[in-house]
Order: sequence, then C-alpha cells, then structure tokens
Amino acid sequence: MDFYFGLIQIIGVHTLLGLSAYVILLTGQLSIAQAAFYAIGAYVSAMLTVLWGWHIVPALFAGAAMGAFFATLVGFPALRVRGLMLVIATLAFGEGVRLFFFNFDYQIQKGNVKVGPLGPEGFRQIRYFPENGWTTFDVMLFVWVFVILVMALIWWVDRSRYGAVLRAVGDDELAAQSVGINLTAVKVSAMTVGGGIAGLAGCLYAHYTTHIEHLGFGVLQSVFAVAYPIIGGMASVFGTLFAVIFVQGILVEGLRFLGDWRNLLFGALIIVAMVVRPTGFLDALMLKRFARWFALGRERA
Amino acid sequence: MLDFVQALIDGILYGTTYALIGIGFTLVFGVMHKINMAYASASIGAAYVALVVGGLVAGASAWLVFGLSFLLGGLFGLLVYLICFHLIPLGNENATLMSTIGMLLLVDELIAHATQGMPQNYPSTAFGEEMVRMGELSVRGDLIFVFAVSVVAMGALLALLYRTRMGLATRAVAQQPVAAQLCGIQVVKVNALTFVITGLLGGIAGALVCSAVGTLSILITGPLTVKGLIVTVIGGLGSVPGAIVAGLLVGGLENVVLYLRGVTERDLYVMLLMFAFLVFRPNGIFARGAGRD
Repeated sequence: MDFYFGLIQIIGVHTLLGLSAYVILLTGQLSIAQAAFYAIGAYVSAMLTVLWGWHIVPALFAGAAMGAFFATLVGFPALRVRGLMLVIATLAFGEGVRLFFFNFDYQIQKGNVKVGPLGPEGFRQIRYFPENGWTTFDVMLFVWVFVILVMALIWWVDRSRYGAVLRAVGDDELAAQSVGINLTAVKVSAMTVGGGIAGLAGCLYAHYTTHIEHLGFGVLQSVFAVAYPIIGGMASVFGTLFAVIFVQGILVEGLRFLGDWRNLLFGALIIVAMVVRPTGFLDALMLKRFARWFALGRERA
Repeated sequence: MLDFVQALIDGILYGTTYALIGIGFTLVFGVMHKINMAYASASIGAAYVALVVGGLVAGASAWLVFGLSFLLGGLFGLLVYLICFHLIPLGNENATLMSTIGMLLLVDELIAHATQGMPQNYPSTAFGEEMVRMGELSVRGDLIFVFAVSVVAMGALLALLYRTRMGLATRAVAQQPVAAQLCGIQVVKVNALTFVITGLLGGIAGALVCSAVGTLSILITGPLTVKGLIVTVIGGLGSVPGAIVAGLLVGGLENVVLYLRGVTERDLYVMLLMFAFLVFRPNGIFARGAGRD
C-alpha cells in the first residue's frame, strides 16, 4: 500500500511543479527554470529543518518565499527578452543554479555525524518525517493539502480579474498593453507566483525523499514542469493534473512492466500527444464540451 | 602565461563544434521561428549510426564514418522535420517545442538502448596522434582537423545562403514568410530544406565532437544542447555569423576557465557570460536594434 501512497505523493509534488509553470505560461512565457526554484525551495527548507531544527510548516513557507524571491530576480531580465529567447535564458539560469548546488558545501556537526549539503554528494539525512513519526500516509495527506490549496487558489484566480489580465497578456501582448495593462507588473508577478509554487514543491520533495542532490534538479525536471501544462492543455488547472497522472501514473509507473522499452516509448508518446492534440488535452474546446455534458445532466435531473 | 594561451587556443579550436551546433539552432530559428531541441541529439545519433554502419564495412577508415555521419545527419534532419514540425500547426510554438523535446528523449534513449549505456570508441582521423608545434606552444592535430572541417562547412553554408537561389529563397522565408509565399516560393519545401541543411551540418558536428572527445556516449548530448543554445543566444537568434563568433568565444572561455578554476566551475562562467549578454546586449553580438523575436 505504501507504494501507492508514495506514487500519490509524487503525483502531488509534480502537480505543484506543473502548476508553477502553468501560471507563467498563462502570460505566454515559457520558463525552463522551474527546477531551479524547486531546488532552491528544497535546499532552503531542508537546511532549516535539519540544521536549525525548524518546524516543517514555517520551513515550507520560507522555502516558497526564497523560490519566489529568486523568480522575481529572474523575472526582470525576462522583460528584455521574449518567447524563445526566454526559454534559453531560463534554461541557462536553471543550469547555473544546479551548478551552484553542485559546488555548495555547508556542513554542521550534529551529535556524531556531520549533516548538511555536501557538493556533488548532495544533502542526506533530511529525516524530519521519520524523526517525528509521520507515516507515508500522513505525508501523502500533508502533500495533498498543499496541492489542493494551490489548485483551488489558481482555479479561483483564473476566474478573477487578475486571471483575465494574465490571459490577455498571454494572448496578445500588444493589445493588452494598449488597454493599459502594465506588462512588467503582470509578467514579474506571474513569475514570482510560479517560483513560489515551485519552491513549495521543492520543500515537499526534499522532505519525502530525505536525500536531495543536484542531479534531481536538471534541465529534464524543468522540461517535465512545462510539459505537464502543455500536454494537459492551458484551459484549466485540471489539464495539468490530468497530464501529471498520465505521465507519472501511466507512462512512468504503469509501463514499468515494459522494462527498458518504457523509456523509448516515453519520448515517442510525448511526440504523439503533441501531434494528435497540439493545444493539449484539455483545451478551450474540450472544456466547453465537458461543460455542456454537465449542463445536459443537470437539465435531465 | 604560456599555459593560458595554450588553453585559449585549444578552446577556440574546439569551440568551432559549438559554432556548428549553434548555426543549426539559429538557422532553424531564423527560418521557422522555432527551436529544434532535438538537434544536438539527432547529430550525435547520426554520428552513432554512421559508426555502426561504417563498422560493418571491414577496415573502414575514419573518413567513411565522417562522410556517412554527414549524409545521415541530413536524413535525420528531414525526419525530425516531418515528425515534429510538419504535422503540427505553424502558430503553435509550445507544441513543437514539446515534440522536439520528446524527440530528444527518444533519440537519447535509442542510443542508450543500442549501446547499453556504454561509451563507444570513436575513430580519430589520421591526425589524431600528431602534434603541431609553434614555438613553445603545441596544438593537437585532431583539434586542427576539427577546426579546418568546421571552417569549410561554415564557408560552404555561407556560400549556399548568400550565393545561390536556394539561399535567397531561404533568407526570403526567414524575413517574411507570407511575402515569400506570394512570390511563389514554396515555404514548406524551404522549411524542409533548412532542416536537411542544418542536419548535414549537425552530422559533421556530431562526428567531430565524438572524435575530439574520443568516445561517443549520450552524456555528450545534454551539454552539447545547452552549449548550442547558449551560443545561439550570445550570437543573436537567427544570426549565422553571430553563432560562429559566439561558438569560438564560448569554446575559448570555457577552456580558459577550466584551466584557471577547475572542472566544477567551468560551465558556471559560461552561464554568467550569457547573462551578461542578456542584460547588456539582449539581441546578441551583431545586434540590429529592436527587432527581436
């Protein structure tokens, strides 16, 4: 049973990661730096709980805040470049952060062991959950509380005026600017929110895996983060959740019986998904169709 | 000081392969305004298939493998175009980005599967063991070979772009696809041709990288993709001369940092260089004002 709880934890954390890219994608920007904010959140919160004995909840918020802070820093140069330039710029930023953690040593003597991040070996001994007697089930619930909170928040924001502004910038920057929308504020705030969510995901990830290292925060992780909303479709947050379940639940775990061939099929299925549904699974048209089904059901009842 | 100059020369020579990869990215971007993330992977893939096919012929020389890699690169370029670009609507940038990333993962996995994750020895050319001495400096023969082949390939590309009707059509599509179509240029054909041309370049680059490193493994493709993209940004998206200069710059800087600061910090400084460019010259080395994207 613990295996499934673990899988649900992974799906939760990846949903957060996907949602962090979703918010930024709403403004039409594609950021391949999400793994960097994820890494910052993971390292910061793990250092707080392990080295300085914080409680997990304030550590989570501190990690998310650090993610948001660095995202703001990256957001400002993002104003100078757009589109595919931004993809490359954020990709390089992500690699830079990974290389920073590759070189980052900070260890403290605790009892008779040294704990803390140790360069290429990574950060071991993040034992907050086991030390405090949390079971896998507890951790899963804890992760999903945050997933549901963030999903509800974004779902609500999407229907508010701010969500409309985000989408307006994403659809047509020039038009949005001419009706008086402050592009700088919108883009940087979206980037900040995205960074914060990725930081939060990183904190949760660090604490359930108990061992983080720079390899877990490479370009591939960032690519996954943007892949979820693109595959799932940008019409609704549920598209992202759907894509995470499709990728992590079906492609990664479900195809395990294929052994070595699974990895081959993985790339091929992403290509097929994009060729068959270029705007993602849950695009505006699909959403309307679902809405109509629900409406019909209500009329009959 | 001598070692410093030595490191700089070696780096610049090796940088020509980055320039080739950068040209591939920048040319596709210039013509289609899209990024082909699978480019470096497909290039290494071409080098690998050339190695396997070349190995079937008894006593095959390195030249045969290089020639095969060149041709296969073109074929792979066309395949990438047909699978990842042709079937997806033109206006959908994110979808093609994702599909080429899928292709990148697929090609990497295919190579890993075929080689069982083992690095493969890659043939070096006849110049492999030679050292050219200039005073107290000495230069590896194979790096000079890499440099010479890259220069020839770039020269051929520039001649193709600026001296032939085909090149004219390519540049026309890059500038104004709609107007080019109205003039009777077949845009789809030009797009496909761009992929073949960049693929041919990539095939050479892949073989050169593998022979300079001495082995072929999928560990090469990731860094090569990232370096190629950085070269593209520093040179300015869509600028071929920019990509050439930026490739040499990145190669030189990388090797100097490697010499001064060690291997763990090597890539960090390349990233910093790119950030400096993003902040101070966001349109690249040969920037032409505000017309970005």
